[in-house]
Amino acid sequence: MLQQVNALVTINRPLTGDYWLIELEAPSIAGLLSPGQFVNIRIPGLVPFLRRPFSVYRVNKERRRLQVAYKMLGEGTRLMTTALSEGGFCDVIGPLGKGFSLPEQAKRIAVIGRGIGIAALPTLVDLAATRNIDVRGFLSARTPPNLIGADIFADHGFPVETHVDGDRNVQVVTDLLQAEISRTSFDAIYVCGSNRLTRAAHRLAQQAGILSEVAMEQHMACGFGDCHGCVIAVNTDREGTEKAWREVCHYGPVFQTWEIINASA
Amino acid sequence: MPAPDLSVTIAGITMKNPLTVGSGTYGHHGRFSQFFPVEVMGALVPKTIRTYKWPGNPAPRLHETPAGLHTSVGIPCNTWEHFLAHDVRILKAQKLPVIQSVIGRTEDEYVDIVGRCSDLGIFAALELNLSCPNLKQGGLDFGYDPDAAYQVVERCKQRSAIPVFAKLAPDYSSLVPVAQAVESAGADAISMINGPRAMCIDYRTRKPIIGNKIGALGGPALKSLAVYMIWAVYRAVKIPIIGMGGVADFRDVIEFMAAGARAVAFGTINYVDPLALPRALADLTKYLEENGVSDVNELVGAAHDEPRAIADIPEADVAKAGVPQKVVA
Repeated sequence: MLQQVNALVTINRPLTGDYWLIELEAPSIAGLLSPGQFVNIRIPGLVPFLRRPFSVYRVNKERRRLQVAYKMLGEGTRLMTTALSEGGFCDVIGPLGKGFSLPEQAKRIAVIGRGIGIAALPTLVDLAATRNIDVRGFLSARTPPNLIGADIFADHGFPVETHVDGDRNVQVVTDLLQAEISRTSFDAIYVCGSNRLTRAAHRLAQQAGILSEVAMEQHMACGFGDCHGCVIAVNTDREGTEKAWREVCHYGPVFQTWEIINASA
Repeated sequence: MPAPDLSVTIAGITMKNPLTVGSGTYGHHGRFSQFFPVEVMGALVPKTIRTYKWPGNPAPRLHETPAGLHTSVGIPCNTWEHFLAHDVRILKAQKLPVIQSVIGRTEDEYVDIVGRCSDLGIFAALELNLSCPNLKQGGLDFGYDPDAAYQVVERCKQRSAIPVFAKLAPDYSSLVPVAQAVESAGADAISMINGPRAMCIDYRTRKPIIGNKIGALGGPALKSLAVYMIWAVYRAVKIPIIGMGGVADFRDVIEFMAAGARAVAFGTINYVDPLALPRALADLTKYLEENGVSDVNELVGAAHDEPRAIADIPEADVAKAGVPQKVVA
């Protein structure tokens, strides 16, 4: 059930590089969240007018608090660093959207994140750990401080490849992934944060005949499927013959990669 | 002091309170907002429907503006058969008046959808969304053209067994003539304002941002424009007005009612603050109690010094000044 709550801000401080971390005491949302779902945060006042949607970075063990890692990109996120102070309250809606599917029989998965896209993945890693699923992480960013989340993989004892490339060249990560997949069998691949990595993950998953999912981003208004604003073009069949506009907030944000690849005209 | 009477009547339809929603802002496809029960409000206006399937406009469909939202969603719609199979059952079960919003690309399409909806026998009224280009008149919106608005409303009224409301888009020069035209064509009420046409351009690419290039503006940014237009139309027509356009809280509800609205719709704010309507209802009730207002209808038109004008103002004056020059007691 969807909730709109005034949550206590327990943390709101710089994480690393351009990233900040906000933690909210919102048991009614945190208790229901599944990996890949998101929350929509209101910044007080009418400017900016819209909420800001964020994937959930972590949920604490007691499932009372949720964390969001956000990047200072524009006016809204810059205001979040000052207008939502620790000890104050934050109007938040969640849990929103359709998250990752983790197949029952999965034994090993590959998790690929780039830049702020990494922020959508730790809750999936945490869930995999509770189900004794082996996780291999592939994380990249343009600068070292913008490479977050490697510690979360490491804390679970999962191997993680990290790469900083500076120039949006994701070839190294793609090669690492290709090499790993050629010697290890995976049951699913998950990706967020790069179109090129999504295409690579899709191609490798197709070759291996396994599930591959991607968490998508789009500008949103409501986040709960009412405004029809956050559509992207998707394939409605695997052959890509039929396409449709689909709301990222309602049909996603997690899609199977075949729904996305070559969907836009 | 007894609790204030919040009920209002529009075209014979009793609403237990004056609050409703702008079409398409409170759920869709028979699925309502999950944040508060639909019975809280005085009437429900579901998403606009067509007689035919329509994919909606290309992405991007929205862009944030200062205190507003620029959109061109294009009113996506499933098939009429899908509406019958899925939405009708849910709409029929509602315990409050349901005012179905409809749209067409031609006069015939308006009449067709009005007839089908009227024949279902489940709606309290129909609201014609006149913000659609009239394909036979070079693409000018029905709502901007008094003659086109008159004709479509008159034909829809002839076909409908239930009240027909006209939803007007804002245009300074034609607003009052169009309002008078739909009234003389038999419209039972006016909903206003629909989102005004708007555009946002990316300074980097110097191109329009949203996929359809032209869209509409919603949200608090357009509130004072809506208040003025309701004020002007209230002086020129006798039929009731359902006011909307940037409403966000109980103060806005009072402002819109004082301008002349008998009911007030929450629109774009539902996307940002889904609990705005029930909160405003509680706050409005408290306001009436604290100010000794026993009947919410006392607010309607309270901003007007003069007695309300009747619709015998020369059309030329109206068109020239935007508001009637002559007020008749």
